[in-house]
Amino acid sequence: MTNIAQDLVEAAVNRLPVDALTPVRKAALARFAQSGFPSVKHEDWKYTNLGPAIELSNTWLANSAAVAPRTTWTADAKQAVDEILEGIDASWIIFANGNVALETLAKAESLESQGIHMSKLSNGRSNAAIISDDPMTSFNAALLQDGLHVGIRPSAYQVKPLGFLFVDNSLSGSLSQARIVIDVENEADIDIIEAHVSVGSDAQFANLVIQLSIEKGARVAYVRIQDRADTHMQVGSLIARLHQDSVLDYASFDFGGSMVRNDVAVDITQPGAIGKLHGLYLAGTNQHIDNHSRVDHHVGPAVSRAEYRGILNGRAHCVFNGKAVVHKGADGTDAEQSNHNLLLSKTAEIDTKPELEIYADDVKCAHGATVGQLDKSALFYLRTRGIDQDEATQLLTRAFAGRILTAAPIEATHAYIVQKTDRRLDELTTGDSP
Amino acid sequence: MLEIKNLNATVGDTAILNGVSLTVNAGEVHAIMGPNGSGKSTLAQVIAGHDDYIVTNGSVRYDGRDLLELAPEERAREGVFLGFQYPVEIPGVNNAYLLKAALNARRRHDNEGEVDAFEFLQLAREKMKDLDMDPAFLNRGVNEGFSGGEKKRNEILQMVMLEPRLAVLDETDSGLDIDALKAVANGINAMRSPDRAIVLVTHYQRLLDYVEPDFVHVLSEGKIVRSGDKTLALQLEEKGYDWVREAADA
Repeated sequence: MTNIAQDLVEAAVNRLPVDALTPVRKAALARFAQSGFPSVKHEDWKYTNLGPAIELSNTWLANSAAVAPRTTWTADAKQAVDEILEGIDASWIIFANGNVALETLAKAESLESQGIHMSKLSNGRSNAAIISDDPMTSFNAALLQDGLHVGIRPSAYQVKPLGFLFVDNSLSGSLSQARIVIDVENEADIDIIEAHVSVGSDAQFANLVIQLSIEKGARVAYVRIQDRADTHMQVGSLIARLHQDSVLDYASFDFGGSMVRNDVAVDITQPGAIGKLHGLYLAGTNQHIDNHSRVDHHVGPAVSRAEYRGILNGRAHCVFNGKAVVHKGADGTDAEQSNHNLLLSKTAEIDTKPELEIYADDVKCAHGATVGQLDKSALFYLRTRGIDQDEATQLLTRAFAGRILTAAPIEATHAYIVQKTDRRLDELTTGDSP
Repeated sequence: MLEIKNLNATVGDTAILNGVSLTVNAGEVHAIMGPNGSGKSTLAQVIAGHDDYIVTNGSVRYDGRDLLELAPEERAREGVFLGFQYPVEIPGVNNAYLLKAALNARRRHDNEGEVDAFEFLQLAREKMKDLDMDPAFLNRGVNEGFSGGEKKRNEILQMVMLEPRLAVLDETDSGLDIDALKAVANGINAMRSPDRAIVLVTHYQRLLDYVEPDFVHVLSEGKIVRSGDKTLALQLEEKGYDWVREAADA
């Protein structure tokens, strides 16, 4: 497999202006130089081939204009952006091609009075935390133009959910990398939405990292919605750290994209934490959607759940790998992983692996996975009640997805998610899936 | 109304029906009895249009038209109803949603206006009261977590809501306690009318104590081996199915 051209990466890093992030970029570059992109020989990347993303990155890096992406969006992206802005009532911060759009920064200032503080990562604070061993997050850090730090004060009073909308609309194949570092302080309670849209028929690649630290007694409801153009690739990492008695209630929805990889890593570092992960992926044609989740229980008692569901048609290929690691001494851990899939075509493929690694004694853990077709007897039953085959198929697939829809937090997103799900299921079940 | 001639059907490589002929007129109640494996349920499923069963010979006409030509949903909209022996659990599909969709599919087909949510609820509550069913069942998934008796009542509820012209009830009495059996029988009796036909498929005579059939047929090895009036059911109860088999072989 072609790997990333390290000399091009280094040159691109050197082209970036010298600022407070420079040491971080250099350190991340050094780590990335050791690893390159992960290949399919890497156990965690066995089913997801980054080859096309690497080729795109090499081409993009070779282009000297690459370091100055647009921070505005074009007219053709406006429709996709408006659909989200009108569909979900939230305080939206927009990232265009990986960078905070200037015109939404004004909004960031107005959130200050609600106890939500935002600043650019280049504005000084210690940025050591953004360096990690993971190749994709190192690549993100090395080439980071800038990122956003969000501090949620204990007294934060949210009028609307806080939304981050990522829109990519470069005309030629481009790479966008964004990073947000969110610190949710003690006892704060916040709703966060992460949404992705993109336009353009050329391939694009987005590599996103979100770091989330949830302090003592704080609660985060988090909904991620990905509806990229069908030629676009995305790798996203959510790295969450849960402190004492904190709660993360997360739901992820994948509708679009050609190649999508989601890594959710949750570290439970103090007792009493609850981490709930839900995911729904609806994939058709040649879409590839890979969900990896990993919850590390370092201490107990604590609770984690991961329930993902997928509906696949055409030649879609999806991957689920959900792992709960119960470390030595993490007694009182309660962890469950499950993954259920509905395959609507003979050519769709799922690789699923819910995993438990347990090194503690007093734990309650369960995992399970299913892969199946629509229940033929249920289909027949509905038809004998006068429901035609298409509608019966839709009803049953919708019912299958329903569990994740009802588990999603943040009410302001519900109507939008339901509408998107219905529209996507309509495409998948009537056979003209894009 | 229903005219079955020399019906032969297979599932996989196994022949199940071997020349069933049966005529059911409007206003009549027929009971089809027979031992396990005689083909009773297959006959019901073929009438409803299950594609696991392949008709290899014979015909089924409904109001003079070829019923076998129609898709299951078309048969339903034409007024054919199958009450399932094992009603299917469909988690996530709301019972009220299914009932209303089914009712409106039928009404659209008949060029009648669709019922709105209010009219629907009023109607459903009324019918549920007759069947002694808790209205809370409307808000649950279709048959999800229902007991055997609740599932059968739910089938009867669907029937009384949809007001079919031909109702085929497959072992609707099995697994019911006496109260549920009476409630189900009341629902069936309320459906009796001069322009409607009912076919009861049953293993036991028990239901027939409460729903009096006009005709009783005994199915054995995929054929009707004996037909008669309600006294045939009593004779069967007394002498057992061997009696019919012996009579058929003789």
